[in-house]
Amino acid sequence: MASKIVSFVLNGREVEVMVRPLTTVQTLLREQLGYTATKVGCRQGGCGSCTVLVNGEPMMSCLLPVEDVEGQQVTTLEGLTPAEGLHPIQEAFYDKFALQCGYCTPGMILVSKALLDWNPRPTREQIVEALAGNYCRCTGYVPIIEAVEEAARRLNTAPHSKKRR
Amino acid sequence: MNQTRYVGRSLPRLDAAAKVTGEALFPGDLSMPDMAHMKVLFAHRPHARILRIDTSQAEALPGVLAVLTAKDVPVNSYGIAEFDQPVLCGEVVRFVGDRVALVVAETPEIARQACDLIEVEYEDLPVITGPEEALAPDAPLLHPEKGSNVLATFHVRKGDIEEGFAQADVIVEETYTMGMQEHAYLQPDAGLAWVDEDGYLVVKTGGQWAHDDRRQIAHSLDLPEDRIRVIYTYVGGAFGGREDVTVQVILALAAWKLRRPVKIVWSREETTIGHHKRHPMRIRHRWGATREGRIVAQETEILADAGAYASTSSYVVASTVLLSTGPYEVPNLWLDARAVYTNNIPCGAFRGFGVPQAMFAAEAHMARLADALGMDPVELRMRNGLEENSLTGTMAEIPPGLSVRETLEAAARRMGWELVDGEWRRPQIRREVRPGVVRGIGIASGWKNVGYTLGYPEQATVTVELHGEAEVERGVVRLATSEVGQGTHTTIAQMAAEALKLPLERIEIVYTDTAQTHSAGSVSASRMAFMAGNALLGAAREAYKAWDDEDRPAVATYTYRTPPTEPLDPETGHGKGAFAFAYLAQAVEVEVDTETGKVEVKRIVAAHDVGKAINPEIVEGQIEGGAIQALGWATLENFVMQDGEVLTPDLSTYLIPTVLDIPPDFETLILENPLPLGPWGATGVGEMGFLSIAPAIIDAVHDATGVWFNAIPLTPEKVLDRLKGEH
Repeated sequence: MASKIVSFVLNGREVEVMVRPLTTVQTLLREQLGYTATKVGCRQGGCGSCTVLVNGEPMMSCLLPVEDVEGQQVTTLEGLTPAEGLHPIQEAFYDKFALQCGYCTPGMILVSKALLDWNPRPTREQIVEALAGNYCRCTGYVPIIEAVEEAARRLNTAPHSKKRR
Repeated sequence: MNQTRYVGRSLPRLDAAAKVTGEALFPGDLSMPDMAHMKVLFAHRPHARILRIDTSQAEALPGVLAVLTAKDVPVNSYGIAEFDQPVLCGEVVRFVGDRVALVVAETPEIARQACDLIEVEYEDLPVITGPEEALAPDAPLLHPEKGSNVLATFHVRKGDIEEGFAQADVIVEETYTMGMQEHAYLQPDAGLAWVDEDGYLVVKTGGQWAHDDRRQIAHSLDLPEDRIRVIYTYVGGAFGGREDVTVQVILALAAWKLRRPVKIVWSREETTIGHHKRHPMRIRHRWGATREGRIVAQETEILADAGAYASTSSYVVASTVLLSTGPYEVPNLWLDARAVYTNNIPCGAFRGFGVPQAMFAAEAHMARLADALGMDPVELRMRNGLEENSLTGTMAEIPPGLSVRETLEAAARRMGWELVDGEWRRPQIRREVRPGVVRGIGIASGWKNVGYTLGYPEQATVTVELHGEAEVERGVVRLATSEVGQGTHTTIAQMAAEALKLPLERIEIVYTDTAQTHSAGSVSASRMAFMAGNALLGAAREAYKAWDDEDRPAVATYTYRTPPTEPLDPETGHGKGAFAFAYLAQAVEVEVDTETGKVEVKRIVAAHDVGKAINPEIVEGQIEGGAIQALGWATLENFVMQDGEVLTPDLSTYLIPTVLDIPPDFETLILENPLPLGPWGATGVGEMGFLSIAPAIIDAVHDATGVWFNAIPLTPEKVLDRLKGEH
């Protein structure tokens, strides 16, 4: 099958890429475009490490053909990080020790972003439900839930501080 | 103790910014211009003789650079404890993850296609599916040169076991079984290797002990160690699963042969079959106690499935033996233990290193014994806890830093236990949560050695440089430690700043690169903070001495060595196996759905004596993370091998805890009784969170349902079967 040109918006910028059919967004990002914040954990849609946002909705990029994002808005963790400092969700993960090895962190932060955009004041149950598709093997999830709660508080009391070590 | 400036504070993790932005690089994220890609041809069969390998079609595929087989390996063996595992199998394969060939190609796709073109003709051999089969008199031998399928045997004899049982009013005998557990670290094994312009063979990857990876690469490639450089990136979890090498040796081999950068990224399935697991064990306990609740005799048999190769099995099972009594004084002990070769995936290090198995059996058995005595389980533990003048099961003195009762009391009180008329009493709770769901609470103690045991040399080397003229302006620390998520970089930086008496910002730390550091040992055995801290204190002292002697920069390399340990006597099992222990107690509240069999943990209280929390948030993170992994081991995680094949090779068949499985209420109680040997009083913590959750759940499920379980994982089917059988 012939390669195909697909255009979409990646982190706010129009991109046009040539891909072979059934190339996944994960492979495109990591191997063709050099965006390595999107991780590879299982390639089965089973772990959430490869989460990206498509029009603000979390999707597992390992199962997502590039053709399917034609004309759509795709956001990776690189797109969330401001030019200076950290996004309030990143700050909350930073401050709450909501990461250990860091491999699930990009996915966790993007899922949290989708949740908080849709529901700025989630209950604990809603946070748990939103994170349910993303594995973390290190933290036991306790600080991740706290970080999402903290991020909600900070986003609801803007302007927020910015810092980055 | 003097006021500390950095030790004891929850400073932000040094790796947090890189990790929340995704800038942190992991092995699979690496790339180099002109790199080639490698794929492994795994055996995918548990036991077979290789009759013929034909690589000609694979080699002929355009884009294939090389196909490597056994004949291409200079010294065809590797292994952490024994060089017993072929790098590439040429004669016999002994488990599904044995490697037969490597293909290096211009793209990963071509490498994969070429793998499919390799023809291997096998003659299947009888498969040893478990340790009982391995011990049968007519069992085929997996390693005929060893003369038996038994990899390691231990005997411990203390006191007089007959005499002990003669004093017992109550004798309880049960057999406990535990399944195989997969580490399921989220980052699949990967790496990149090349030969640099100076002719050094560089392997950049993730593991737990770069210097030991280098030792094994040097052995297999027949190269001097100083020709090889191992560098670690950030590592996406390890938990003991990266203590053995995975891709290191094969990457080095390919890059050395091809003189071209070679990258490999294993899939989830390859990662699963390509590294060792936690040992399944069967532990039979027969314990006797007097009516007053004094343990007078313990008879124990341990049988562990070691899988196809040695890995660290002999040390793991020795640790099970060493801690098998639980933190109790047992005057008369008779113990036999064996680790046995099978055609299953090799078993080795996994958080706790054999001690979770020991704690599961000992602490579940304490609960059973308390029940048989009609005594509260906390009361029974208090009556038998080790004393400062006690001797362990292996007749060793208890090193200073004993806190078995303090941790137990902390966890018990928090979960509602009360001291009534001088005896501990379990809180009365309402059993029924709602129709069909019952609630219970349970508790278990735990202990574990810190650091290597049984005579294995335990040391860590660090180099400190003090730069400046009149005043020390900055420090450089060279200390090889792998950041697998546990927070070692931050913990060590805090200790370095404290030891060097310099602001944190004025210290540069060179972490894991074998070309720039000496070995500090592995990140395992809850040892690195303890070892590195002591080494830093020694190096700082020496460096300041050199500074006072006007050395500029003042440089000191210092090796910290722990008090020696010794192997267990082969006949009696006597010996000082460990130089320090940590103590803990964990209590849980569970709900059991009697219609579905589902066990849900609703609350955890974890009381740990950590000596001194260098960074309290990081310590808490270790305890929480360990406890949730143990919750998985106890209730969910079911790694199934059948006839030597893996039935759960991926994350959709091997289930680990999600956020839905964790208790809404998790409380960590940190006790700080300084360990005299520890830096700033700190003991080890990395494994401790894992140790006693499973037996606490057993106790709680019994409290809820009246039914005792002896086997984990407590999957809903198994729970339901038993509940239906009993009611």
